Amino acid sequence: MLRELAFNLLGVFLPVTAIVAFATPLLGKARRRAPWALAMFAALFVAVTTTVVYAAVAVGGRPLVYPFGGWPPPIGIMYEVDAFNGVLGLLTGWVILAITAYSKWYEKEMDEPVWYYTLLVGLMVGLLGCLYTGDAFNLFVMIEVLSISAYGLVAYHKQRPEAVEAASKYALIGAVATNMYFLALVVIYGNYSTLNMADLALVGRAYAASPLPALLAVSFSLWVFTYKAAVFPNHFWLPDAHPEAPTPVSAALSGLVVNIGVYAVARFLYTIFGYNNALGLYRGAVLLALLLLGCASALLGAFMMLVQRDIKRLLAYSTISHIGLALMAGSLGFAAAGGALVLALTAMVAHLVSHSISKATLFMASGVFIHEAGSRDLDAMRGLGRVRPLSAIAMTLSFLNLAGFIPFVGFFSKLLMYQAFLDAGLPVLAFVVILVSAVSLLGYMKPIYSIAFSFKKGAPVTSPRVELVDVLLVAMSASLLVLGLVLGLSPGVFSQPALSLTQQGVEDYIRAYLETRKSLGGPYG
Amino acid sequence: MVGFLAEYMFTVIYLSLFVNLGLSLFGLFYKPHYVKKLIMLGVLGDTLNMFAIFLGYRAWPSPTTPSRPPILLTYPFENASVLVEFTSRAVDPLPQALVLTAVVIGLAVMVFLIFLGDNLFKHYGTLDMREIRRLRG
Repeated sequence: MLRELAFNLLGVFLPVTAIVAFATPLLGKARRRAPWALAMFAALFVAVTTTVVYAAVAVGGRPLVYPFGGWPPPIGIMYEVDAFNGVLGLLTGWVILAITAYSKWYEKEMDEPVWYYTLLVGLMVGLLGCLYTGDAFNLFVMIEVLSISAYGLVAYHKQRPEAVEAASKYALIGAVATNMYFLALVVIYGNYSTLNMADLALVGRAYAASPLPALLAVSFSLWVFTYKAAVFPNHFWLPDAHPEAPTPVSAALSGLVVNIGVYAVARFLYTIFGYNNALGLYRGAVLLALLLLGCASALLGAFMMLVQRDIKRLLAYSTISHIGLALMAGSLGFAAAGGALVLALTAMVAHLVSHSISKATLFMASGVFIHEAGSRDLDAMRGLGRVRPLSAIAMTLSFLNLAGFIPFVGFFSKLLMYQAFLDAGLPVLAFVVILVSAVSLLGYMKPIYSIAFSFKKGAPVTSPRVELVDVLLVAMSASLLVLGLVLGLSPGVFSQPALSLTQQGVEDYIRAYLETRKSLGGPYG
Repeated sequence: MVGFLAEYMFTVIYLSLFVNLGLSLFGLFYKPHYVKKLIMLGVLGDTLNMFAIFLGYRAWPSPTTPSRPPILLTYPFENASVLVEFTSRAVDPLPQALVLTAVVIGLAVMVFLIFLGDNLFKHYGTLDMREIRRLRG
């Protein structure tokens, strides 16, 4: 029953949200409130879909496959959800719902909300499509859907020269990177004659003797993935693009879009070219390179955060740092196996969840203070925490989560990461995690101090105000505490997503695909 | 002459695609002008599409006889050998489907990039990327 509902929703959510995206400009001209209502409908639909899909996958304990149009999988496109992309989808669905609700408050800064909501729904389609797809070419299409929406949203305030400049730099190199992913797909199809992810994992076993084409394909595709995830040295666009975007979009870009890059890296290096030996010895080298890049971006983000005065730039550099940490944990597959690997992957998933929620909350709270101060400068925001107390509380809680305080989920993700590095016999990396946390704590103290704790001299005394957005922000930061308590009391909560990237999990991923192929009368029995 | 074409032209085109790829990447990163970058992006996209088309290419079995389009003209088939002969000379249609998708997406991205270029020129009065540096990066 649940599984059947999840199956149908998995197939129907994409056309429905896409229709909403295209209907927004048509209906939005007629009624002023229509665009937000439509976007909210799409976001609710997505949130329900992701919840039901994840519940079905988690309860059933096996991946859910939806073959589009009833074509047997290696021929047609299929969407396949296991616990790993299921939990990231669940996260995306609920955070994007919060962002859409927040957009209503932000509407006063926008001149043409209808185009904003069109692009926002497009971003939703792209995010969920990237996460749920089980087809490497469909991933290319969905990355482009995501990218074009993101470029458009970054350039939304097109009367500002900085926004246009940031968007043009982001879009130009982004277009080159996605083209390179197309080249990787050409190599993959030329070598393996299939583009289905599970099928690639299956047929890759026969190619253990010739890993060079796989290396070529992986190195071309890693460019776009690390570009989306803003991993050093592909991070240059993020500190420009995220601050210049409208605030809810900054929350979506920093909280959700960067996850796609890490997700795709894990999908490629664990599921597709993981345990089937198709990459041979190069897999270790690629993972080691990713580990070093993650390390570099974690350190770079933490140190660059110290010199920022613009609150949104500070948050953008913090994103680079945290995605670097998640990538470090995720690329431990070359040194760890068994328990340590599960620990590392659990740490990656927990860190992505913790970072997404708190970074979205932080950007949205910063939007409230930017609106009050009329500037993005931290010095102009002194004492504003007293005007908007609930937002200040939400912001402080989210910063504490990012810094890794007990009992937030951020503490447990860093603890797991630390343990995984020690178990893998790499204490140096555990030291890096501590160093990054310590340095970024200094960076976080500045906004906490200037907004929540300091006074502005001679400012008129205003009574505290509470709007609906403040309540939303507090609810989001409270979810971090709840998640932390859940993870602290039962550490196994996030291990199911991690287990789907182990050898057994990949076996299940392939078996679900084979069952669908068989039941639809696909080729080769 | 036909033999030359069959033997060498394929290789020549294939090698020229690699040259194209290198040139377009060079232009994208070293030419300062925004429009030149866009042109090079177009060249890059088309080169990659050509790679995909080449992937599905299948040489005509005998170079000296004129080729026929890979279409099944009779139905039902008299025997299975019609199908065998058909599959031996039909090109792989999947890369063409991929290219069709990639071309449409490339068009969308290109239109958006041109729109951004227009806005850049309105704000900065130039399209030289060396002078468009208000952000610190």
